[in-house]
Parts: sequence; C-alpha cells; structure tokens
Amino acid sequence: MIEVTDLTKAFEDLRRGPVLAVDHVSFEVHSGEIYGLLGPNGAGKTTCLRILSTVLKPTSGRAVIAGYDVAEHPEKVRANIGFMSGNTGIYDRMTAWEMVEYYGRLYGIDEATLQARLEEIFNTLQMNEIRDLLGSKMSTGMKQKVSIARTIVHDPPVLIFDEPTSGLDVLVARAVLLAIDYLREKGKCIIFSTHIMREVEKLCDRVAVIHKGRILDSGTVEELEARHQQPDMEELFFELIRRHDEELIQGGVGIAEGV
Amino acid sequence: MNWNNVKLIFLREVRDQLRDRRTLFMVAVLPLLLYPALGMGMLQMQLLFSEQARTVVIVGADDLPEPPLVEQGHFLKRYFEFPDDADKLRVVVDNDETDTGETDRNPDDALATKDGLIRAAARMQEQLDEIVRLKQEAETARAEGDEGEANTFDEQVKALKAKIDEAMTAEGIQVLIVVPRGLKEHIAEINEKLAAGDLSAAGDPPRLPIVRNSADEKSLIAYRRVREAVGQWEDQLLKQRLESAHLPESFPQPVNPEQIDLAQSQQLAANVWSKLFPALLIIMSVTGAFYPAVDLGAGEKERGTMETLLISPASRTEIVIGKFLTVLLFSMGTALLNLASMGFTGKHMLSIAGAGQMSQLGAASFPPVTSLLWVIVLAVPLAALFSSLSLGLAMFARSSKEGQYYLTPLLMVTMGITVFCLSPAVEITPFYSVLPVMGPALLLKALLLAQTDVTSLYYYALPVLVTSVGYCVLGLWWAIEQFQREDILFRQAEQFELRLWVKHLLRDKEPIPSFSEAGFCFVAIMLLQFVAMRMMAQSTVGVSPEAMPVRMMQLLLVQQLAIIATPALMMGVMLTTSVRRTFRLNWPALKYLLVAAALAPLLHPPTVVLSGYLGEHFFPPLPESAQSAIAPMLDPQQPWWLVFLAFSVAPGICEELAFRGFILSGFSRRGRTGLAIILSSVAFGVMHMFPQQVFNAALLGLVLGLIAVRSNSLLPGIVFHMIYNGVEVFRNRINPDVWNHPIVQRFVSTETIEQQTVVHYDWPLLAICSVGAALLVTWLLRHGTPQRQSSAEGAPTSPTISAAPTA
Repeated sequence: MIEVTDLTKAFEDLRRGPVLAVDHVSFEVHSGEIYGLLGPNGAGKTTCLRILSTVLKPTSGRAVIAGYDVAEHPEKVRANIGFMSGNTGIYDRMTAWEMVEYYGRLYGIDEATLQARLEEIFNTLQMNEIRDLLGSKMSTGMKQKVSIARTIVHDPPVLIFDEPTSGLDVLVARAVLLAIDYLREKGKCIIFSTHIMREVEKLCDRVAVIHKGRILDSGTVEELEARHQQPDMEELFFELIRRHDEELIQGGVGIAEGV
Repeated sequence: MNWNNVKLIFLREVRDQLRDRRTLFMVAVLPLLLYPALGMGMLQMQLLFSEQARTVVIVGADDLPEPPLVEQGHFLKRYFEFPDDADKLRVVVDNDETDTGETDRNPDDALATKDGLIRAAARMQEQLDEIVRLKQEAETARAEGDEGEANTFDEQVKALKAKIDEAMTAEGIQVLIVVPRGLKEHIAEINEKLAAGDLSAAGDPPRLPIVRNSADEKSLIAYRRVREAVGQWEDQLLKQRLESAHLPESFPQPVNPEQIDLAQSQQLAANVWSKLFPALLIIMSVTGAFYPAVDLGAGEKERGTMETLLISPASRTEIVIGKFLTVLLFSMGTALLNLASMGFTGKHMLSIAGAGQMSQLGAASFPPVTSLLWVIVLAVPLAALFSSLSLGLAMFARSSKEGQYYLTPLLMVTMGITVFCLSPAVEITPFYSVLPVMGPALLLKALLLAQTDVTSLYYYALPVLVTSVGYCVLGLWWAIEQFQREDILFRQAEQFELRLWVKHLLRDKEPIPSFSEAGFCFVAIMLLQFVAMRMMAQSTVGVSPEAMPVRMMQLLLVQQLAIIATPALMMGVMLTTSVRRTFRLNWPALKYLLVAAALAPLLHPPTVVLSGYLGEHFFPPLPESAQSAIAPMLDPQQPWWLVFLAFSVAPGICEELAFRGFILSGFSRRGRTGLAIILSSVAFGVMHMFPQQVFNAALLGLVLGLIAVRSNSLLPGIVFHMIYNGVEVFRNRINPDVWNHPIVQRFVSTETIEQQTVVHYDWPLLAICSVGAALLVTWLLRHGTPQRQSSAEGAPTSPTISAAPTA
C-alpha cells in the first residue's frame, strides 16, 4: 500500500547550510500492518510523513501510496489517506460534529452516506456527548478524538499517524493506541511514528529506527533484537544511534584526512 | 478546480468569521456605532468647547465717528456675514463704563482686567506714536543720504515692535485698534468740506492703525473678523459722506460685479460625497480585508489547523480561492456598511447643523441611485485587490502578530494613493484609469461629482474594470503562489541573526543568484538612483548652457557605470560562484547575433511610433528634466563618439549586465523562464522612471530577455541594445539632407520644429518593420537552445513553465 524508494528531502538551514532532513529512505508498508518509525526529535520522521501526506514535495525519490505517486497525483493520494499529527489541529469555532462533517464533505462523500458514517464514528469513538461542543471548549482528549474521527471519516485504506500520543495523558494516549490497533484489525495500512519505545513494542508489526534522516535498521522487534543482541528495544535504539554517530564522526575525520 | 470544495471552504470560513466576536465587531458593530458616536461626540464638543472669544482693545473709542462700531463689549452683529461671529470677539473700549464681557465671572476682576488692558493699550499707543515718528525720521535721514542713521532708526522701530508684541502677548490682546485723537471731528470736517464742493479735502484720509501679529494664529483669526467688521463700518461712514455731499449711494461703485453661484445644494453635497466616498471605500476595504485575512492565513497557521486543511482533498488553489472569497465578502461588507453608516450620520448631522457654513449644504441629499450602484460595482475590484494582497501577506506571516505588522505599510501606501486621488486637481485620465486603486477611486469621484453628463465617464468604466480585474487576478495568483511554497507554509520562528545570515550568503554561494538576490539588486539600483538624483541635479547647477550637454552626458555615463553596472557586478562577484553563468558570458551562436542585430533596427520604428502615440494620448507629458536629459542627443554641436558612448554603448553594456545578467539569472532560478523574462523587463521598465520610457523599455525588455535566454549569452542583447539606441541617435543626428532623398521620402516624412529636423516614420516603413520584427520574434520563440536543467543548479525542482513553447 505504501512504497517509499530513496526518498530525500533537502532544506536550507541558516546555520548549517543545506541539510538532508530525509536521506534516501526506503520502506514498504502493507495492508493490515502497522509500521513504526522510531526516532528522536528532529530525526526526520515528521518531514518524511509530511511528504507522504503530499504537504511537502520530495527533493528526489519516490513515494507511492495506494497506487498513486505523491508528487504526481497529490489529490488522489490525499483522498486515500487519513493523516493525523500534533500539527493537525481542530477548529476552535466549530463543533465536533461540524468539524468532522466538513471534512467528510471535502472528501466528497454523498450526504446520506456521510450522515450514516458520522453516526457510526461518533458511536464507536463515544463522542456523542461532545457533538455540539465547540473546539475551544474541548479538553485535549476530546480534541484528539475529533482528530481521529476526522482522520477516518472517509474510511481511507492508508492511515498515517505522526506522534499521535505526544502531549497526551496516559488515559487518552491509551485510547488513541487502542483506536489505532482497532484500525489495523479492520485491515488498514498504517504508518505510525513515535519516540516512545513502549508504543512500538506494543503496537508495531515492523519498525524502522530513524536518525538524522536515515533509516538505521528495520524489521520486526524480535528480528532487530536478535540481530543486534540487545535485550530490549530501548537498548537497541541507543546502541544504533550511538554507532551511527560514531560512524559519522569517523567518516568526517576520514574526509578531513583525505583532504 | 473543484468549485464544490471552494464553496465548502468559503461557507466554513464565513461561518467561522461570523462566530468570531472580534471580526463581527470590526466589520459590523464598529461602523454602525462609530459614526453616530462620532457625530454625537462632535455635537457635544461644539456645545462644550465653543470657540474662545479673542480680545480686541480699542484705545480712544470716544473719537470714533458715528455710526456705532461697538456695543456692549462686542462689535455690532450687523457688521458680520455670520452674526454669530460677533460673539467671538471681546472688545474692550476705554470709554465704556459698563461691564465688558459676559464671560467674566467677577465684575471687580473684570474691571481690574479691563483697566489693566486699557493702561497697557495706552502705553502701546505711545510706542506706536514713537514708531511713526521714528519712521519719519528714518525717511528724512535717508532722503539726506545718511543711510547709517536711517538704519539706527529702523533698528529702534524693530525693537519697539518687539516690545509691543511682547506686551500684547502678555496682556492677551490679539488686536489693538488705535483711534487717533479727534478722528470724529476730523471726519466730520472733511465731510462738510466735501459737501461744500472742496474735493481736495479728501486727499489724505486719517489713519486708523490696527495692530496685530500675523505669525500668531489667534491674532490672525481675530484680525480677520475685525477687518470684516471695520470694513462694513467703513462702508457705513462712506454712505454718510455721500449722503452729506448729496451724492447717490452707488457713487463709488461704477459696476456691480454680481456673483451668481450656480451651485445647488445637491451639487455641494455631491462635492462632499465625491471626496468622502472613494476615500472611505478604499481605507475601509483595506481594513475590512486585512483582519479577516490575517485570521484566515496566519491565524490558521498559528492555531495549527492549516496542516489539517492541507491534507484534505481540496487543492491549494481551491483553499486560497475559498479564503479569498471570504475575505472579499468581509472587505466589501465593511466598506459598504461604513459608507452607509457614515452617509446617514453625516446627513443627519448636517440637517441639524443650523446656521453656519455647513448649512449651505442644505439637506445634503444623497447621490442618485445610479451613482450609488457604481459605488457598489467599483467596491468589488477594490476590495478584491486588497483581499488578495492581504491574504498573500497573511499567508506569508508566521503568526497573527507578524501579520498585523504588515498592515501599516499596506495602509500607508493606500493612504498615500487616497490623498492623491482626493486632490481636486486630479481627475480621471486614460493613464490613471489603468492604474490600480487610482482608476476605480478617480472614476468613482468623477461619477459622484457629475450631475448630468455621465455618459462620457462610462468610457472609462471598461478600462477601469478590466485592469482592476487584471490586478486582482495578479494579486490572487501571488497569494496562491505564496500558499504553494513550502518554505512559507512551514516557516519556522527561527531567530534571525545578521551575522549568521551574511555568513550563510557568502558560504553557501551558488552558481547563479537567488530570486531574492536578484530582487535586491533591482531595489539597490532604484535606491541608488533615488539618492543620486539630488547629486545629479546639484552637479548641473551653475553649468553654462554651452557646457551643459557634455555635463549631461558625463552624468549619464556615471549613472550607467556607478548606479547600474556596479551593483550588479559586485553582487555577481560576491554572491555567486559562477560569474560566467550569472552574466551569461558565453559566446553565442552566430545566428543569434545576426537576429539581434537585425531585430533592433526593425523594432525601432514601430516602438518609437507606439510610445510616441501613447505619450500624446495616454501618458502624462514628460517633465522638463527628462527632456533636458535627452537634449544632448539632438545637439549637433556634440561629437559623435561622445553621444554614441553616452546613449548607446554605455547603456548597452551596463543595463544588459544588470538586467539581462544578474537580475534575469536570479529571477529564472525557480525554473520559470517566461515569468523571469516578464519580471526582469518590468524591472527594466520601472528603472526608466517616466511612464513613456517605462512602457517602451518594458516592451523592449521582453525582447531582450528572450534573446538572452535563447542565446544563453549576454552579447546579442548588448548588440541589440546598442543598435536600438544607436538608431535613435542616428535618427536625430544625421544630416537632414538624407531624409530629403526621394527614395527615403517614401518611408519617412520630416518636420522642422524649433530648427530641429524631426523625422517621422511613415506607414509603409512601419508595416515592413513590424512584419519583419514579428517574424524574427516568432523565430526566437520557436528556436531556442534548450536551457540547462535548473535541477543541476541545486535549486528545488518545480515544473518548468515557459512562456514560449520550445520546439
């Protein structure tokens, strides 16, 4: 469902000059699978997922979602994904119902289907009591529910979650994770980024450790642990990052010596 | 484009804005309350702070002849056009025993002040007498040739005047009238003599000094009123004199210049509306557009809902258009509500204003319905332009706060334009009608002013509307463009450090300049030109007319080298890694050189005729300074080589380096060659300052840009530029006999104006040249060396849009 090949994104940075925020990243995600992107802040997770959601354009490389290339058919891609991140807020001056309904209409769902779908989602996510509550009056948990409802209103085959639990209390975070798990069971293709190891261990079928724009290693949690002889995900993660930074320094020295 | 999405977004944004109390307040409540509140406030102010009475002191009032001038501490009301004005002067006389003014609360106090004033006035009277004496002394001294002594007298006069002024200020006297002793008797005596037929008696009328300080505002106002009253009173005296001499009252009036004012109250009202409506419409559509735009653009970024919208299936163009329509609606709503509220309040205020100058406006009837309809029609393009500009700015801003900062410059510019349009001397012309904001504003002004003959104005409606729509499409395109750019959508609030930035500029150089560096180069050239203007003007001061042409040409050369070529070259060397690619220093294919060389003389006749025609019928006339700048070209005294150097060689090289070199390279960095050519030619035009030249230069800039891009070399452009300018020099300099040759005469006609032979191109030549030029330009459009891919230059790739189809 998601095929990413050699995806690269370059930025201009005032301090550092041109920077590769995403550096030749490749991976695949299939239906009914949760793929985790695990990395510290600034690793390039958000940039990578923004490219997948067509908000950013790749500098080079390809990403194909549900059969559509993100650079060539961005509208088709957007119609087939649900995207949720810390940056996708909800409107203050709209009620929960209006907000989800509005996005449903933007997806071009016909009115009868949309109303039925809204009822279904509001029931499943237990949102009926905040139906007519304005966004500005909602708690973080309620907002997150509205966001999830907004993400799945058009029943997309591909879902992208960019650190969906960041800044949430444990109860809400758990609810969000349960919702994602439920979506996998419904056969969705899900990509999920986080910097929290436990979430990865609990939820992801496969995981990629990403640091400084590069995927350091990927596979199932068990595979990775076996490959690097580390007992748990946390140790593994730090080990990978440490090794990569060392390589970078050595590489830098090597280049300096070469000159 | 999915209009359903646009509609959805529009409806949502409108509902969102209507739920926002701030916007509602700005758009609806404020205008509805503001003007009535302002009106009430003004009425209150009028009641509370009526104009303070000014003090006039009359010394020797006993000696004033009849009829009475003053009564009960005021001039008589009948001496004023507006009787209320009498109350605005408090007159203190030295023969009056009654209380002088109602304004004084304590009679004792008032008496004391009055006595003090009169005593001070008496002292001043002595000083005045002294001044008269001193002036006479000075005259006698001068007559005797004793300049030195005369000057000392003058000095004394000055000192005395200063003393009087000081005393008047200290005592609070605004005007002092000194009645000479025995004036009454003196006048009566003259009247008697005149009645008896002794006409010599009227020879030297008695003086009545009125002292005031014209630099003092209060004194000035008081004096104006005193002058009015005294003038009327003097007329009464004259009447008496005529009566006593048995002469008719009309004796001093050989003709009666009767004033017939055609203005009807409706016209007076139209005059007021024609100023208020356009101004308010402009200012209010800016403010009405700005606040919702900031909320819809920067506000949405700030609240974190922008990305939510971006990942919806709506395309960015649809999003911007939906938002634009919302802003437009609120902008128009604000503007029209303000107009309506102000109109009704103003009308009401005038109807209760009572006596006073405003009363002439009568009921201040509203403009006719057709004019009001035009207000609404013209509000659309105005509001649309401001909406798209505000939205573009708001998209650029990182936060609402940053967005608000952009309001001030936008408002300043529009205020400037508004003030210009309000000036009574400015009327709509074909040229103004195609300018943004000015066109609609001036058309509206003219429509509101015109009472009967409106049809002639309808001719302007089309250009005004068409260009306005054009400008607002451009504005909208810019806003969409802003919205497409990742660096703008996801601008981080990174701290800006000048040192870091300069380092970044010098460190991360690229082969060719960036878009903004090219823009900066143009701005630098314009600024330098602006600064140099004064220096240029100064260096022509005191130059003899013979040396003037040489000096002008020297200045032209300096301008070309220092102001145009140097900034571009310096920036090219400092900011890019490849001077060669930046300035297109490649050897071109021979065909381009040939085409450029042929195109220049072919394009010369049609462009000269076109800009000449537009200069006569469309643009405002060239100012004197511009004509003196090109005068040396026509001057046969000047050596050929210098004229060619100044007018052909230097511009050819310098302007090409800057505009087809650095600026065009920078503009085409984003891969849009067609747009880059248009932008660089607009910049090239604007640099020429005067409208005719701007037009012609921009037109040629298009051709020059095309040549530069196609040949990927600066040389053909230089050749074109030199030849084009050279033809102009040649046309003005060649021996006039050449034109009189029979074959040449078929193509051109000559005319002698002020001993200069002016050559006009005739139709056959124009037709041949136009066809030839069109063929060559078409060839250029079709046959281009494909440009190297911009991706090789390290710039983010974007689909290349070229103005010209590449074969």
